[in-house]
Order: sequence, then structure tokens, then C-alpha cells
Amino acid sequence: MRIQLAILRIAACLVPGDQRSEWLAEWRAELQYLRRCGAPQATAFCLGSFRDALWLRRNSPPDAGPWLRLETPAHCLGFLGLAAAMCVLLASRFHAPQMPLLPIGQMLLFMPILAVGCLPALVATSSLRLGEYPANRYGWRWAFLVCKIALVLPIVPCSALVLAWIVGPWFGQCMFVECIIALRWALIDQRQRCPECLRLLDHPARIGQLSHTFLDSCGTEFACPKGHGLLYVPETSTISFRTTQRWMHLDPSWSGLFS
Amino acid sequence: MAAEPKLSHTAALILRTIHAGDGYGFSVMEMTGLPSGTVYPAMRRLERDGLIRSQWERQSIADREQRPPRKYYKLTRTGEATLEASERRYPLLAKLTAVEIEQP
Repeated sequence: MRIQLAILRIAACLVPGDQRSEWLAEWRAELQYLRRCGAPQATAFCLGSFRDALWLRRNSPPDAGPWLRLETPAHCLGFLGLAAAMCVLLASRFHAPQMPLLPIGQMLLFMPILAVGCLPALVATSSLRLGEYPANRYGWRWAFLVCKIALVLPIVPCSALVLAWIVGPWFGQCMFVECIIALRWALIDQRQRCPECLRLLDHPARIGQLSHTFLDSCGTEFACPKGHGLLYVPETSTISFRTTQRWMHLDPSWSGLFS
Repeated sequence: MAAEPKLSHTAALILRTIHAGDGYGFSVMEMTGLPSGTVYPAMRRLERDGLIRSQWERQSIADREQRPPRKYYKLTRTGEATLEASERRYPLLAKLTAVEIEQP
């Protein structure tokens, strides 16, 4: 019984926080019932909870805590700037002895090379498409993306220098994986922002059904908290109504609904 | 009027089993022979699409049987309409579950 409960508790970590207690209660009750019936396959039953937990994780809106919700662009860039400064400071003081610090000039040259080197792996693991937006309208989105990447890139080698104490000879691989995660985060964060005020979008609303994908829409719609527009994110990129996320601008007459 | 969603054979089988009265996850597993990793996500999807709704068992019933309360599922009206459409689409479905219900 202990092993099965441990499996359920580990799987529960994958479930979004607001649904976790109810999810765990349901699985524990079912497990209890299964044991009372004397069914022998309790462990196999509990292993299925991982698929259920993953399904919930994939199909629920993100539930990042307020401390990590970098809603405004100023919050986001401020947090990244602070993190970059801390990483540089930590790396200069506590880097592993076998990994000497590069001079600043070489470091600045190394970071874009690292980012370009990670591009094939990034393309293989994530979509680079940022969605459909009206052309020539939201130029600062690109400026914001460039700023984010510029602040994220110093974090990668500096944190890897500190982590070299733990990972030792795997330093290079560690830095490579960190770089992919960092660039992937920058792209995902970019897709979740309003192109006008660059705030994180909110109020997710599901639209359509997955069984009606042909010439119909099925996905989630997010709204800008300031009422600038709606972002439609399709659930699957098949032959459905829309295959990529699309921004719909709302004119000022809608602002009353968001104030 | 919106058309009923088209279900896969597995989802239709689960819907039919819930309609037959086996509204608990493990009971659906026993009746259909499907593993837990298939049944529970399918039930979540059916609930999200408004075809079934879940409810917790009353605490008094669970206390009487000295076990934690279980969550059970029931078909909604949309679910019933979808099940009818699915039975037309999969004619063997009704026969299959009827045989299983007769042989517990």
C-alpha cells in the first residue's frame, strides 16, 4: 500500500495545484476500493495515474504562483536583469576552479555563438512560430524578445560555471541544455503576451471540441487584462480552422468590459 | 442546432458503461477491460466536453462502509444524445456492453 500511495503522490506533483487535492482524493478512494475488492493489480492501476496527471497538466491553464508571474514587461526585464547580475556575481566568486572565467570580450562573443549552436536542438524540441499578428504594427514585441534573450544568455554560462561544482565534466552539456531551456522559455513567454502592452494574457476560455476540428475551431482564447485584444491558441495544428495562434485586436469601444 | 461530437470507439464504450450504471473509474475499468491510464483521462475529456458530470459520494454513505468517499460520474443530456449517435455509428457497442453486463 505504501508503494502505491507513493506512486500516487509522485504523480500528483504533475497535476496543477488547484486540482491536486481533489485528484489525489479520487485516486486514493479508488485505490482503497480496489484493495477492498482484493484486486491484484494495484501497482499497475496506480501507474496509470501518471497518464491522467499528464493529461490534466497539458489541458489546464498555467497556474504559476503570483511571485513568479512576471506580468508586465518591466517586471519581466527587471527580474531577468536581477537574475543575470546575481549569476555573474556568483560565477565570479564561486565558479569551479577547473573552469576559469573568460574575459568579458570573449564572453560577449561566446554567448551568441552558444545561442546559434543551440538553434537546431531548439527547432527540434519547440516551435519557433510566434503566431499571426498584424504586420508592421507591433515592432516593440521584437525589441522585447531581443532584450529578454540578451538578459537570459549571460545567465546560462554563469550559472553553468557555478553548477560545474556538481556536474563536473558534464559542464558543456549542462550549459547546452540550460541554453535550450532558456531560449524555449523566452519564446513561450513571448507567445503568452499581449502584442500592444506586452502584459501576460489572462482569462483562458476553452472554445470548441476536439472532435470537431475539421473547418471548425478548437482551442483556448486568452484576453489582454487591459482589453487590447484576444489571442486564440489552437489545441492541435491539424487541418482545423486555424493552425497557429492568432491575435484579434479589439478597438477602444470594448474597454468598458475590462475596466 | 450544434451537431453531437464524434467520439472514438473507446470514448463511446466508456460513455456507454457509465450510462449502464458503472459510474466509478475502477468499475468502468472492470467493465471495459481498459487500463486506468486510458479510462481516467478519457473520463476527464468527456467531462470537459460536457458529456458527463462528476459528483462526490455522500460522506454518510462512505462512513457507513468505512472507506473514503468516491467520485462518481453521470451522463448529461448532451452525453445521452451523443451516446445515441455513437450507438448508431458503432452498432456493435450496445451488444458488446450488454454481453459484458450479463457476465459480471
